Amino acid sequence: MTEDRGIRRFTARHIINHAIMLVCFLGLVVTGMPQRYPAQTWAKAVVMLFGGVQRVRFVHHWLGTIMAFQLVWHAIEVLWLTVVRRAPLHMMPGLPDWRHFLQQVRFNFGLDSTPPRMARYGFPEKIEYLALIWGTALMVATGLVLLYPVRFSPMVGGEAILAAKAAHGGEALLAFLAILTWHAYFVHVRHWNKSMFTGYLEEEAYAEEHALELQQIRRGEAPEPAPARILRVMVFAVMALIIVAGTGLLLYWLGAMATAITTVSGG
Amino acid sequence: MAVAAQGDDSACFECHGSIEKARDAAAAMELKLDEARLARLVVEPMASGTSHVAMACLDCHPKAADVPHAADLGAQNPCATCHEDAMAAINRSAHKDPAGGTSPRAPCWACHGAHDVRPAKDAASRLHPNHIAEQCLACHDKREYLEGEHGHALQIGGLDFAASCVSCHGAHDIQLHGAENSRVARRTVSRTCGTCHARVEQAYLKSVHGAALSEHDNPDVPTCVDCHSAHKTASARSARFRLDSPQMCGRCHADKRMMAKYGLSTAVLATYVADFHGTTSELFRAASPDQPLNQAVCYDCHGFHDVESVTKMGVEQVKSRLLVRCQACHPKATKAFLGAWTSHYVPSPDRYPLIYYVRLFYVWVIPSTVGFFLAYIALDVWGRRRHRRVS
Repeated sequence: MTEDRGIRRFTARHIINHAIMLVCFLGLVVTGMPQRYPAQTWAKAVVMLFGGVQRVRFVHHWLGTIMAFQLVWHAIEVLWLTVVRRAPLHMMPGLPDWRHFLQQVRFNFGLDSTPPRMARYGFPEKIEYLALIWGTALMVATGLVLLYPVRFSPMVGGEAILAAKAAHGGEALLAFLAILTWHAYFVHVRHWNKSMFTGYLEEEAYAEEHALELQQIRRGEAPEPAPARILRVMVFAVMALIIVAGTGLLLYWLGAMATAITTVSGG
Repeated sequence: MAVAAQGDDSACFECHGSIEKARDAAAAMELKLDEARLARLVVEPMASGTSHVAMACLDCHPKAADVPHAADLGAQNPCATCHEDAMAAINRSAHKDPAGGTSPRAPCWACHGAHDVRPAKDAASRLHPNHIAEQCLACHDKREYLEGEHGHALQIGGLDFAASCVSCHGAHDIQLHGAENSRVARRTVSRTCGTCHARVEQAYLKSVHGAALSEHDNPDVPTCVDCHSAHKTASARSARFRLDSPQMCGRCHADKRMMAKYGLSTAVLATYVADFHGTTSELFRAASPDQPLNQAVCYDCHGFHDVESVTKMGVEQVKSRLLVRCQACHPKATKAFLGAWTSHYVPSPDRYPLIYYVRLFYVWVIPSTVGFFLAYIALDVWGRRRHRRVS
């Protein structure tokens, strides 16, 4: 398990998922912020680089769509891991995370002699994961409302369209700043963590950030995924089908009506 | 010595008939004249069709009967003798002779020509609509007129009834544009434009802008030229005019000092730009100013020449008009859709509270979250350094 490049931490599934997310997120920031601040000179410069706001929107809508599908994919993924493989919910925050957080603060102040011994995912990662799931869900929901205002306004009222716009813009700024601070610090500044691209994390970093998991790996106590039993796979299949069908129905319902006449497109 | 007889110009042409003759005459009189001066002394016999073809040289230049001519021969205005009314009119105009005499700032021949005066209807006349601009532009630097709709229509489009300089400014009675009786003064310019654009003038005079001007002599409301410009009149159907129009309205409606006088909100432009349509138009304008735009601009909802006060109109009428306007592009829009536009209101706890509180939420959550992150990071950096030193 231990190789010279470090300890296996992520699989190809994680790496690809993250890479798609990375491209989508950055692309959405670049194409979204000029729409949030259209009067700014830099916004106009970005729009000109793209060759017009319509291309900016085209890219934004497609990247958003890809990200929305990633969210659906993740739901199915989690379903598979929990229902079929009986894997623990590594990302679920709990009381130990609070203790780890407080212990880390005490340790940094010198009030505690040892840093927290964290499991596979520590509180910095859980905060980010929850923000990502919550944020993406909110962005997808508000984004759809903004994309189909005529469709949604009879149901939620016109004001909700603009509230969705305010939330979409606010959440976007929050997410961008969170990535710039929290994410950048923990994986780029604290130490340069390449594991999300290579799949391997250096032993030293592992020992510091995931001491508990490293110990389990070393002792061979890491929980093995359960074998895929036919009944569990069938339960999973039904639930996954419901998710897929629900997504399909939503898309059909939205696509059934054009929101507006086509915007005049320019050369 | 009088050499020329009344009605017979042959004696005049002996010297003025050609450049050679002029040169010989100058030499005989021992005058040293350069070629340019000589060329100016050459006079062609009047062509048929010119207004004064039946007149002899001495009719206009009586003192020229004396040869050699008196030195002040050129100082006289030969036109004023017959055209007294025109001369009087000129002296009441911007081109008047400051001394009240017959030497106006713009001499008659500067516009009419001298020996080639023709009636304005004659296509060869300097004052034919097609040529008027050339005369005025010789002194007045307003070449942008030629790029404007009127200049283009006249010169390229061949529309002789399109407005030339004199259509708007007048001719002998031309006044400085600030003068009370000017045709292009604030109060009168709409009447001048209305000469051709009559229905526009009627609509304008009934509008909130036109009424304020005609009834109260309001100094702020726009006249025709404030939106369309005077000389470089842009086509209101051009993509650029449409795309620029929100900024055009914003020149006054985002001017805090001006709007304060009337209790009007200056948030109208910012709220428009912050909304979907405004964002698009603003970014279209930046990236490609000639991009056609079919998303709503100010005048799609408010009207243009007949723009009305929305406070006078009442909420219900505004809303019903707005819905019609929305449905032009969003065919299935319902009344609920109208709420997706705050009618330029900035959301507050009383108006559009949902939007207000969502914004307020992020106003607090963004700095506090990021602040917490930064504080934690600072602590972590400090703590790690300390432990590294200790260990």
